[in-house]
Amino acid sequence: MKMKKQLLGMLICGFVPCLSAKEFSPEDVSFFTKEVRPLLEENCFRCHGGKDSKGHPKVKSGFQMISRKGIVIGGDHGSAFNEAEPEKSLLLHVISYEDENLEMPPKGKLSEEARGVLSDWVKRGMPWTPEDADVLVEMEEDDKSITTINEFSKSRWSYRPMARPDVPVVGNTEWKAPIDAFIYDGVNKMGLNPNAPAPRAELIRRAYYNLTGLSPSLSEVQEFENDKSPEAWEKVIDRLLASPAYGEKWARHWLDLVRYAETNGFERDSDKPFVWRYRDYVIKALNEDKPYTQFLTEQLAGDELAKPTFDSMSATAFHHLMQWDDEPSDRKQAYYDILDDNVRTTTEVVLGMTVGCARCHDHKGDPISQKDYYSFMSFFRGIVPFSRGRGPVEKMVFEGIDDKYEATMVAHHRHIENLKKERAKIENQLLTSLGKGTVGKDGASVEPVRWLVSDARTKTPQEWHYSTTVVDGWSEVGFRAENHQWKKGKAGFGTKGPKMVVHTKWNTPELWLQTSFLLEEIPKRLSLSLHHDEGVEIFVNGQPVIKREGFRDDYDDFAADKRFLDSLQVGRNVIAAYVTQTSGGQFFDFGAGIPSGKSLSLEKVLKSKEGAKAEKDLVNRWKRLKNEIRKKEADPPKPGVEILTARETGKDLPPTYVHIRGSANAEDKEKEVAPRIPGIFGGEELKAEAPENGRNSSGRRTALAKWISRDDNPRTARVMMNRVWQHHFGRGICRSSNDFGFLGEDPTHPELLDWLATEFVAQGWSLKKMHKLIMMSRTFQMSSKANPDALAKDPDNNSFWRFDMRRLTAEEVRDSILAVTGTLNRKMGGPGVFVPLPEEVLATSSKKGGSWGRSSPEDEVRRTIYVKVKRSMVPPQLADLDVADTDTSCPVRFATTVPTQALGFLNSKFMNDQAKVFAERLRKEAGDDRKARVRLGLELALARPAKERELEYSHEFFDAMRDKHGLNEEEALDRFALLVLNLNEFIFLD
Amino acid sequence: MKHPQNTFCGRVDRREFLRDIGGGFTSVALTGMLAKEGFFNKAHGATLDSYANPLAPQESMIAPKAKSVIFLFMYGGPSHMDTFDYKPELYPLDGKTVKMKTFGRGGKKNQGRVVGPKWKFKQYGECGKYISDLFPNLGECVDDMAFLHSMTADSPIHGSAMLMMNSGSLLGGKPSMGSWVNYGLGSTNENLPGYVVMLDKTGGPISGAKNWSSGYMPASYAGTVFRSKGDPILNLKNSHGMPQDQQRTLIDHINLMNREHLGVRGSESDLAARIASYELAYRMQSTAPDAIELESEPEHVKELYGMNEGKTEDFGRKCLMARRLVERGVRFIQLYSGGAHNDDNWDAHGDLEKNHNHHAGRTDKPIAGLLKDLKQRGLLDETLVVWGGEFGRQPTAEYAKGTGRDHNSYGFTMWMAGGGIKGGVSYGETDELGGEAVTNRLHVRNLHATVLDRMGLDPNHLSYFYGGLDQRLVGVKGAEPIQEIMV
Repeated sequence: MKMKKQLLGMLICGFVPCLSAKEFSPEDVSFFTKEVRPLLEENCFRCHGGKDSKGHPKVKSGFQMISRKGIVIGGDHGSAFNEAEPEKSLLLHVISYEDENLEMPPKGKLSEEARGVLSDWVKRGMPWTPEDADVLVEMEEDDKSITTINEFSKSRWSYRPMARPDVPVVGNTEWKAPIDAFIYDGVNKMGLNPNAPAPRAELIRRAYYNLTGLSPSLSEVQEFENDKSPEAWEKVIDRLLASPAYGEKWARHWLDLVRYAETNGFERDSDKPFVWRYRDYVIKALNEDKPYTQFLTEQLAGDELAKPTFDSMSATAFHHLMQWDDEPSDRKQAYYDILDDNVRTTTEVVLGMTVGCARCHDHKGDPISQKDYYSFMSFFRGIVPFSRGRGPVEKMVFEGIDDKYEATMVAHHRHIENLKKERAKIENQLLTSLGKGTVGKDGASVEPVRWLVSDARTKTPQEWHYSTTVVDGWSEVGFRAENHQWKKGKAGFGTKGPKMVVHTKWNTPELWLQTSFLLEEIPKRLSLSLHHDEGVEIFVNGQPVIKREGFRDDYDDFAADKRFLDSLQVGRNVIAAYVTQTSGGQFFDFGAGIPSGKSLSLEKVLKSKEGAKAEKDLVNRWKRLKNEIRKKEADPPKPGVEILTARETGKDLPPTYVHIRGSANAEDKEKEVAPRIPGIFGGEELKAEAPENGRNSSGRRTALAKWISRDDNPRTARVMMNRVWQHHFGRGICRSSNDFGFLGEDPTHPELLDWLATEFVAQGWSLKKMHKLIMMSRTFQMSSKANPDALAKDPDNNSFWRFDMRRLTAEEVRDSILAVTGTLNRKMGGPGVFVPLPEEVLATSSKKGGSWGRSSPEDEVRRTIYVKVKRSMVPPQLADLDVADTDTSCPVRFATTVPTQALGFLNSKFMNDQAKVFAERLRKEAGDDRKARVRLGLELALARPAKERELEYSHEFFDAMRDKHGLNEEEALDRFALLVLNLNEFIFLD
Repeated sequence: MKHPQNTFCGRVDRREFLRDIGGGFTSVALTGMLAKEGFFNKAHGATLDSYANPLAPQESMIAPKAKSVIFLFMYGGPSHMDTFDYKPELYPLDGKTVKMKTFGRGGKKNQGRVVGPKWKFKQYGECGKYISDLFPNLGECVDDMAFLHSMTADSPIHGSAMLMMNSGSLLGGKPSMGSWVNYGLGSTNENLPGYVVMLDKTGGPISGAKNWSSGYMPASYAGTVFRSKGDPILNLKNSHGMPQDQQRTLIDHINLMNREHLGVRGSESDLAARIASYELAYRMQSTAPDAIELESEPEHVKELYGMNEGKTEDFGRKCLMARRLVERGVRFIQLYSGGAHNDDNWDAHGDLEKNHNHHAGRTDKPIAGLLKDLKQRGLLDETLVVWGGEFGRQPTAEYAKGTGRDHNSYGFTMWMAGGGIKGGVSYGETDELGGEAVTNRLHVRNLHATVLDRMGLDPNHLSYFYGGLDQRLVGVKGAEPIQEIMV
């Protein structure tokens, strides 16, 4: 096994035996001392000078230039000196600035003179002062290296194979069940006793929140308190595990990990189409208690299953969840950034391994090599990356899931077309009868336009660039068609089209077109014309703006919508079009112009004096048609099976290489990698078999999923059981739940974790069974009470001598408020809903209104897991309470307490509105009596009977509101409702 | 045996113990403040444990030269050739086509039509710095300013370039500079946020709140948006109009009941912290508006900032607010000149003259006023002022016609002034036409390193453990501060 050198904190400086003693003439040495050394010191030592004044290492890329030997040995890029052909030395290459990926010094090219000196020096054989020619800052060799695969690194708990540990035998028989025995043993060794069971009211509240994210009602609490049967607790657990709210609660934990969001981030932060199906999939899979390995397999490779299902296809959106830049500055690097995001997320979430750290160099804290990284990356190499417009959305048909969608859509469009034809006829009749000429088909107007892109009906049709083959990035602003030998042709493409003049012949199945125009300012309106046969997609400045299907028998003249106008920019605008016609008889034309504003609209005409003379019947029919068309267009048939999916480029994939320093533009062609598991786990190459399900896929992800699903996988079960424990007890057995490596935390109970992991496998990877097992333990049922002795001996509760209190999460707080006020809508699934946001928050966006929509009042009060997750706009009430950041995997939420949270609780519109609703509920359900209202208010919020003291305090509060502030009883009740929603007990769990 | 952790980069520092794991922040906030208030002790006599408050003031790592940063963000990308980077050779080439490698929104090009600078340059100050006629007022301050003419960034596209200038990375999810400063130093005023952002009245920059995000750090380190009129902070006033005295009664009773609840749970610092947070919130309601209450400022000061003139009133008000926030101990203040899209910011693709006259006209006097006012109050020495956009612009035209310039990340100008920065100096150069940085090239990371260093933080060792890595604002490769402009 090759031992690598590695850096540890302290570096040892010293002499090492000469490898190649070389004699230089005094002139050469003097030349080095006078001319060369100062140059090196000034320009190179900052990064390659060994050590800085504080003793911090300065050997970037492992390359030290403090001696001749250091330069000969070289760094990550190999030796910097070529003894045989000195003029070809890497050192001279990098200072030449001819390779834009490797320019040294990075601060700027050296002067010609300086480069001359260095070149001369290298050609003379790199003379050096003999006394320090071989000095090196030595990097310690260590047989306990944590960055190489050796006996020591393999022996870390999390790299060892899983084994079923023996359950300790404990003195206390009540604690002899496996989980309890492990815990009791540890607590006992600290000279402590575990806490007594929590009161039943506390316990059931804990169970409800942990499993469903919602509070029990007072009657549910009391029912449990009064149920003296031995199965009382078990019944509660079974009921909660069977509740659909279980999936809603636990899906949120998973979504944090996989950085789930519904938009892409960056400048436009546009929507990820249909990504919400993934969220619904996670909820459903958890509720169905799919074996965890199946859950992972569907996400990693649900498209490669023998028979993909609607669920398994929806699950594969997993591969598109990352933030995505629609105009990256370096397209190739951006492609690998996407793969990198998947490698990081998959390895951290599924394996508790930070493989992403080995992208640029070997991992500096774990035995994970750069080769491991690229081998792992190659599992994902085939995926067609996310892209604009429809991107990797597939329309799929599954039995029982809206399989009539296609036909419905065609019928829908045909119906609208017919209505429009009829309307146009009436319009012409109307206008002709009034002597006003004709109008466009949508009734907008006929008015002269200034053409920006003139269609074939004009005297000077637009000249387009076009191609019958596609080029990557063809629709982008930065795409220059002239650089790709696209042809030029005048508008009116095809063979022959109804009411269209053909200027440029096109008779292939597909056509890509591009043209551009200048704008000095953004027009408020734009008139468009479109004529096409089968399918057309139009992009403005890279943004998808129009998508149509189906044949037309005449031009469609219509006004540009908001999406189109929003895509315009001052200066050069690029229009790109993708047109298809598979069965021949092609035609396509498109035009755009700025309306003069001096036109007649039918509406205006009808309002004028002459208009009053129009035939009433005709006018009424016209109005009816107009309304019907508007309604139909606004409400197309529900899309049933459009899914954001993983799809691969083919069965055979291009080779994957190690990238030097992580740069996509520096592939090391000598280091090709194959899909392999990390070396520390054996480094086995996983043979991929292309699936035989009709999909053009490599099967690599299936191979990965199979390895991950193996019962003896050293990480899969451990990592997930640690997470389950974490979300029950507030922290994982290993606190760094995304990192089981050497830089992660040591687990407090490694044997317990291994026991749980092996049990998980034995239970068929059933999460619900493990929840039950954990919750049935005495450990889970302990009270959270403190005691001074235990606090002194184990203040951080490392031994789990008690159950830790926790604050509710952002979602639990919002859902609980809505539940208490009685407004929570429990409808499940579907696209993300918009909650109202304050103007101040919307104003932080670069777009007016923040591209934030408005949902119906019923949707505004759905559970938080269904609230739209927009990367650039997080509702403040969620952000304040530490909701997960969505750009990177979030294994553990923070739980901060800062004054701005209190401001939100006291002052926000949401809280004050909800307080009013709450007060209204109290009026309705408790009548006029103050005491009854107070009692009910506290009971609803705290799920326990109100205490006498609390009734007294509340009474004082009402009186103070009346006497000090002149509020009447009803106004005071509104304030009281707000008070209750602010209580610590309401948002903390014992 | 437990192997030494987190030592591979050789740092030993309290900051490295704050990590992305449970427990690190779960119980932290406010107990430090609580102790100071004597609130908790007096009421219940329980002992406070050793939890740290994330925003409590921290010792600096190295000797600080500045206490606060004001980052004047010229969103959209001002043209360096037309503002501070004097290129006399560019004027006579106006309209001529030259060979030049450029990369902007419109892709990579190898040649282009030169647009001569549209403004004249004059020499100012003792240093004789050439400044364009866009900035006659700032010209008077050149002896306090250090110009960085060789800035480079990794992307010429707004989305990623904005993230890079604010957080050092082309991708989202990383903490912004203000978050790092607050993480490293804490805040000296608990009644105000430590990191304040003021936006242009046309709207936020693209990517909105991502630009002042705390990324993988707790949200307490994220920037707080301050408005210059009305209520400065969201939720500072009751949305249903509840008066302050009524709210006092409400808070008293909330806390009465919360203390009752705390009773047997006395050791739970989270509960105590939340009780204290209501008191702080109450006080913030009166102190935060005071920070933006400009009535008390004398007329001549308002005039210094241009608040008496229509076009400079808005940015002048924000600059004056920035000074007041600095006086109140806010660590990091970011002001945006320009918002939304197209010509609402410095993104001059169409008519360069119209665009830059507009934006420079609105900011020149206010910024000069800020520098002068800070100086006369002796605050400039401890306040670091940074000016610049996410990139610069190209010397050549974007289109066949017109004066519009496309983006340029190969070379552009920023300037710094104040705390620990030399005055009247210029560092680095672009080529003779301003196309790319050629001498003493600087990267955004060097700017970030300089800001952190001047604030007393070692840029190469201020780190936060996340995702298996010691993350830094200056990235894993690190970056040196710009010694040549540092006092």
